[in-house]
Amino acid sequence: MSNSSKPMIALKPKVGIIACSGEKLVEGTLTRVATRIVVEKLRPFITTILCQPLFMAGDINHKGGGQEREFAKKHKTITIEGCEEECGKMAVEKYSAPAEATIYVKDIMKQHPELVPTSPQNLGEDGMKLAEIIAQEVAKKVDEIYKNQ
Amino acid sequence: MSENKVYIIPCSGIGKAFGGMCREAAYIVVNELSPDKAEIECLPLVVKGKKEVIDALNANKIITIDGCTAKCAYTDVRVAVREPDAVFMSTDIVKKYRDLKPEKDIMILGKNAKVLSRKLAEEIRDKVDELYVE
Repeated sequence: MSNSSKPMIALKPKVGIIACSGEKLVEGTLTRVATRIVVEKLRPFITTILCQPLFMAGDINHKGGGQEREFAKKHKTITIEGCEEECGKMAVEKYSAPAEATIYVKDIMKQHPELVPTSPQNLGEDGMKLAEIIAQEVAKKVDEIYKNQ
Repeated sequence: MSENKVYIIPCSGIGKAFGGMCREAAYIVVNELSPDKAEIECLPLVVKGKKEVIDALNANKIITIDGCTAKCAYTDVRVAVREPDAVFMSTDIVKKYRDLKPEKDIMILGKNAKVLSRKLAEEIRDKVDELYVE
């Protein structure tokens, strides 16, 4: 049996992905689903998810508290933003270190006006297609960062 | 942002289904069960400290929903705004309905996780009714 289908051991540090996850906007849900696609399907062995709200909460006494901040201090990160508030980028910069790259969902949506997501609660078929496209963009950036480490 | 609303702040947890259940329950409350009384707000904006959001939360009732012991929604609201008026945990609803084990799917919640989210939403709706002031 060939070993080609087996995952390669990640020798370099993983890249952290931080989705803004904004609950109020459909773009927030897109960041979230795109992040899951990257980490579950596209680049499972070289990426990991970091929770934006845990950057603030992580300093409070808690089992494992501060892990998010520590990881982002020592690893390269990519933030995915649903709006111009840049909550992911601001949080990682404030509590850890500047993100290596930022992906803006609205820019990608502008390139695909034919794809209209249904709602923040349910992206619908178009929204899922958009999430896949966003995830592909994130994966490209992951490869670039991972390779240059 | 609206005046005189009960703000629902779910955790943005993205690593386990419990976080997704918080988000789903919040949407059910604001879209279906209590659309005139409740409104959702972005937790990441609270973390960022956006003034308009902090002011609106301070002027209204707040319910947080968390999916794990880190309690990001509760903790971040308490740090950036004030003590929430009510707190919920999606894990509590799982303990209450042990026959409905939530699936591990996160991107799109599984059948049991959706049923549990609705049950959680119904409990939150009752709390919204209690906290809401005409």
